[in-house]
Amino acid sequence: MASTGCFIIVSKNDIPIYEAEVGSAAKKEEAAHQHQFILHAALDIVQDLAWTTSAMFLKAVDRFNDLVVSVYVTAGHTRLMLLHDSRNEDGIKSFFQEVHELYVKILLNPLYLPGSRITSSHFDTKVRALARKYL
Amino acid sequence: MEPDVSVETGCMIRIAVLPVGAIPQAHLRDYASMLVRHRHVDLSSISSFYTEHQKSPFANQPWDSGTLRFKFMVGGSPLSPWEDFQSHRKILAVIGICHCPSSPDLQLVEEEFANACKGYSSALVKRCFAFCPADSQVEETEALMVLNVAVKLEFSVFLQLEDCDVQIDMEKRMFKWYPRMIVLQGQLGSAIMLPLHFDGSECYPVTLWAKPLLAMLWLAFVLVGDIHYFLFPLEDGGRRGDNLILFPPADHQTQQFHLQTMMQDIAASLLMEFEKWVLRAESSGTILKTPLDSQTSLSSEEVIKAKKRRLGRAQKTIGDYCLLAGSPVDANAHYSTALELARLTGDFFWYAGALEGSVCALLIDRMGQKDPVLEDEVRYRYNSVIVHYRKSFMQDNAQRWKVSTLSFELEATLKLVRFLCREHAKEVVELLMTAADGAKSLIDASDRLILFVEIARLFGTLGYQRKAAFFARQVAQLYMQQDDSLAAISAMQVLAMTTKAYRLQSRATLTKSLASSDEISDGGKLNPQSVVTLFESQWSTLQMVVLREILLSSVRAGDPLAAWSAAARLLRSYYPLITPAGQSGLASALTNAADRLPSGTRSADPALPFIRLHSFPVHSSQVDIVKRNPGREEWWLGSAPSGPFIYTPFSKGDPADSNKQELIWIVGEPVQVVVELVNPCGFDLTVDSIYLSVHSGNFDPFPMRVSLAPNSAKVIKLSGMPTSMGPVTIPGCTVHCFGVITEHLFKEVDNLLLGAAQGLVLSDPFRCCGGDGGVILFEGEIRDVLISLTNAGSVPVEQAHISLSGKNQDSVISVVYETLKSALPLKPGAEVAIPVTIKAWQLSTADLDSAGGKNTTSMGRLSKDGSSPMLLIHYAGTTVSAAQPLLVVPHVGAVASIMYICFVSSFRSLGPWAQSGATDVNSSPVPPGRRLVVPLHVCVLQGLSFVKARLLSMEIPAHVSETLPCLDKKSSNLISGAKPDSLVKIDPYRGSWGLRLLELELSNPTDVVFDIRVSVQLENKMKEDQSTFVVDASDFGYPETRIDRDYSARVLIPLEHFKLPILDGSFFIKDSKSDANQGSSRSSSFSEKNTKAELNASIKNLISRIKVKWQSGRSSSGELNIKDAILSALQTSAMDILLPDPLTFGFKLAKSSIPPADIVDLPKEANILAVPPGSKGSILAHEMTPFEVFVRNNTKEMIKMKLSITCRDVAGENCIDGSKATVIWAGVLSGISMEVPPLQEIKHAFSLYFLVPGEYTLVAAAVIDDANDILRARAKTNSPDEPIFCRGPPFHVKVIGTA
Repeated sequence: MASTGCFIIVSKNDIPIYEAEVGSAAKKEEAAHQHQFILHAALDIVQDLAWTTSAMFLKAVDRFNDLVVSVYVTAGHTRLMLLHDSRNEDGIKSFFQEVHELYVKILLNPLYLPGSRITSSHFDTKVRALARKYL
Repeated sequence: MEPDVSVETGCMIRIAVLPVGAIPQAHLRDYASMLVRHRHVDLSSISSFYTEHQKSPFANQPWDSGTLRFKFMVGGSPLSPWEDFQSHRKILAVIGICHCPSSPDLQLVEEEFANACKGYSSALVKRCFAFCPADSQVEETEALMVLNVAVKLEFSVFLQLEDCDVQIDMEKRMFKWYPRMIVLQGQLGSAIMLPLHFDGSECYPVTLWAKPLLAMLWLAFVLVGDIHYFLFPLEDGGRRGDNLILFPPADHQTQQFHLQTMMQDIAASLLMEFEKWVLRAESSGTILKTPLDSQTSLSSEEVIKAKKRRLGRAQKTIGDYCLLAGSPVDANAHYSTALELARLTGDFFWYAGALEGSVCALLIDRMGQKDPVLEDEVRYRYNSVIVHYRKSFMQDNAQRWKVSTLSFELEATLKLVRFLCREHAKEVVELLMTAADGAKSLIDASDRLILFVEIARLFGTLGYQRKAAFFARQVAQLYMQQDDSLAAISAMQVLAMTTKAYRLQSRATLTKSLASSDEISDGGKLNPQSVVTLFESQWSTLQMVVLREILLSSVRAGDPLAAWSAAARLLRSYYPLITPAGQSGLASALTNAADRLPSGTRSADPALPFIRLHSFPVHSSQVDIVKRNPGREEWWLGSAPSGPFIYTPFSKGDPADSNKQELIWIVGEPVQVVVELVNPCGFDLTVDSIYLSVHSGNFDPFPMRVSLAPNSAKVIKLSGMPTSMGPVTIPGCTVHCFGVITEHLFKEVDNLLLGAAQGLVLSDPFRCCGGDGGVILFEGEIRDVLISLTNAGSVPVEQAHISLSGKNQDSVISVVYETLKSALPLKPGAEVAIPVTIKAWQLSTADLDSAGGKNTTSMGRLSKDGSSPMLLIHYAGTTVSAAQPLLVVPHVGAVASIMYICFVSSFRSLGPWAQSGATDVNSSPVPPGRRLVVPLHVCVLQGLSFVKARLLSMEIPAHVSETLPCLDKKSSNLISGAKPDSLVKIDPYRGSWGLRLLELELSNPTDVVFDIRVSVQLENKMKEDQSTFVVDASDFGYPETRIDRDYSARVLIPLEHFKLPILDGSFFIKDSKSDANQGSSRSSSFSEKNTKAELNASIKNLISRIKVKWQSGRSSSGELNIKDAILSALQTSAMDILLPDPLTFGFKLAKSSIPPADIVDLPKEANILAVPPGSKGSILAHEMTPFEVFVRNNTKEMIKMKLSITCRDVAGENCIDGSKATVIWAGVLSGISMEVPPLQEIKHAFSLYFLVPGEYTLVAAAVIDDANDILRARAKTNSPDEPIFCRGPPFHVKVIGTA
């Protein structure tokens, strides 16, 4: 498991709709800010890169210092972004795919307004479990 | 590392621009900006200044198309240790800038400039530009200019002059001269022709005197015949060197022109210097060193190599100079040689340098061409450059000498990126990420700074705003680490650039076009920009961090306005995420910043409070003229102009569309607008002044001062006066708070609320701060309100009458009309306050939907005004002049429970009516009255809500005791006037059989706490006087029930005391009231129909006596309207509650007590055989215990019956009969025939002998013979044959003793 990680889902309006700090490293507030800044900045690159490939998993698109941003873009242009410091690409890919499944289930909920914040605790639990499993 | 590097950097001539003497910042900036326009000087334009002294080494210089490029280093720059390696790093010229008014002594200036130049040993040309010389300075510099003319030609002097007097004199007058006083006025370039003729046989100095001296005086010799110009400056022949050049005071354009000429001169001088340098280097060689070259001695082989290296390096440097001189072809030739030599000697560093130069030369040569082949070539060569720089990186050097070629590698990367930026985004990103990775290895912190600056800029060029912002923030952080105010200023400026990407822009920086597009949207429809702004808070973590950094840096940089604005934005947008301590910290940051600002400073970004439009004053049309009927005392009755229709089709049909209220204000009459202010933070907020902000200029707003407690809201009236005709636009309020003036726009808050409704923004400040402006009442809340009426007219009001109309009229419980009556006549200016009690009405389901739903715009609350009751105030004066404008301003004051009801109104001037009114008066003795319609603005919020009611029964058997003390106790209580101690205090000896409790479940969906009190109006009947004793149960000390917000609670109401004493037909008579005399309304006949009606009446009466009152906070209280709910709960079992059983039974120990004489005085619950707590007399086993059983007839007929008594043990076994009887008895226990007279009691005595101690239960039962209809109805039986069986409640007997 990666020592640092931050997982975020960004809606097609560039709004974060889900955030989770995953990873075993001690969570400092300052670091959490930094993670968000890096992920926010990576959106620029994703925006261009998403249209150059038909694959949903864009692999590592950006990096800063030792932190790498891997991105998975769904068909609806929702971006699953993971900030991590390990290089376990297969694990990340599986992670993304399973989170995508979960996200689709959220979308199927008639009470969920697409593009709004995901507040389901069940989703949160599942995502964290997946993070432990794959990352 | 250096900022702003590009491939073309290699051909730029570096010029240090230094301020000399004291120069105000603004002037320096101004002069410098004029200077930096001349970055490019065409070779063609400098040919007139250029003199070829020797054969130029730049054989292929493109004189017609070439350019010299300058890079101005304003403020100078430190010497680079690498300037031998890359000649463009050298400062090749120095330009001083002097502002004459602040440096009076030019001599000093010159010295200072000379000193400053000493630091730039590599500078080849030095000039000091002195701007704006005063006349005195100019006088002083009036100098002799000597012109050596050694050309034997006839020529004319062409003078290009400023608008000044020029006096030209010729010394010695060696040639024919036509002296003329020339006065030149006008524009630049106005010229005079002085035809000078001289034979040229001798060399004569020509001396020209000019006054004032103009540095920009040029002589143009127009060679007659050969049309060729050459221009050269009149050199200052005085004591001064040629360094100081005075610029005459002139307009900007002229100065530009002068400057351009001077730059051309400098360019020419530099070119000549380059030629000299190259010639010298070619002939004698030069020593070139970099910090990279170690000090170790060289072996012989290495010496040869070193020689070759030196040659290569020299070639490379000559190439550099060729580039600087604008001759790429020459440069390329030298670079080729250099590359060859460097490769042979393995001098990778210089190889890379030469390669870089060659790329530059290539690009300069092909300037303006777009060629993919060229692009590939550049990319290929630059990648090679990067590789070679990397090759030359030596760990050893980096560690020992702290020199590293990494910065060159990064610079080369950045140069390539800048070149590729235009098209190859992906490649650029890749390169930039690599470059960013290099930051960690950079030794020098300022190198890292430059690197991040460059990366940010390059991402910005790509259009990657967020990436750019990210690196800009890194830059800011590096600046902040430097801990000095200049760095803090830089940090602040850099952060200001990131605000767009993080969507944090200050309103000041938002463009005008945006503001104008805002104007277009109306009707609650959002334009796209507003929608975008709603999403702003989504990256709130980032935004807060950036704002905090802006705040921090601006505090350090000493920019109070920026600090104020950042703190204001932070507080306004993110208060829900900031702790109260943090909020207070921000508040003090605001105050501190304001202390440093001049008073009256404006900021574009509003801070607190949040302000929204609440409502408008009533229309002028609501003050009507009413014709008075002199014959009627109450002239206002029926005077409403209703017409034949109940509803007029022309009245506003759609009250929901209150956005489009038509308001008409009258010039000169004060008007009021009601706004709601909210302070959602944890500190006291004082608004120093607030007033309506009006841009249309025809409105005079009156400021007022408000203070807001933490987390509170206030509704205030802002007044003003229209000053001229035309539409008045009020976009918001101007607020002076925290020492700064800001404008708060209503529209922004509306957008915010809309966003909050959609869950887009953090929270709705108006929701989290319930207002104390008493407009807001909970359902059922009762408040006292004062409505004050002021006569603002000029005649006394003689008559006035208040009536109610509109919806929910019954919510106005009382209006003290007497107060108004007694205050009449109301003199002009007099005021009367009328107490009014309002009980908030129930919300309908539709209201609840809209309250919880989308209707959250500021007008949302207003739309409910339709449900507010209207106050109709008719008033009149007595005299003719009553038709003159009267102004009655009802407003609301305060009573004990302070409440500001928010309705605002004012009388309007009669205008034309005044005239017609006056003429009417002549014909009719009675002047017309007026009618004012004022809505009572009450906003009802959902309060406690009722969930369900149900009936519970409780059965606790009583203990048999020795006495019947309750009689005494009751009677004494009644006599003394004291009240029963409690409604439900269960005495175990008394028991509680058949006690019914009404359970109400209430929930509290609001965000305040409610205290519930149940009160039941009791009636106790006493036979003696037949009077009704009504007790308010709330005085029983019955505890309050508190319901916290979002909780529900159950309240129990005991229905014990409702049993009627007598069962007879009187209950079934329609109009009988239970508190009326029961005995008098005696009736023996009843029908089924009557039964129902009577029961309903009784139930209604019962329900009306149950009151659930609530209180919330100090000032809110009211009553819950739950009659219907109780009715439905009681419907099925009302009979059981209300009607007594026909017979009641009771047991008593007869041992020592004398039966009281007034047995009939037993209270209605006859089974109460309670003993006082002290005398819990128990029964001993093995002892004969006498008992008495009482049977009471509750009907008005004689009842014949057979009584039986049984005794059961704890197991429920009959212990009197049977083989295992444990009780022996004396007397009759079963089949006792008795006749009980109406409302009388009969006792029957018997004795029991308990063999075994323990708990026993005594039960009495009776079978009624010949039951009448009443009894049958009570027993709910229809069959006349069925026996009616009555069973008494069980009584406990505790037997103690040894077995």
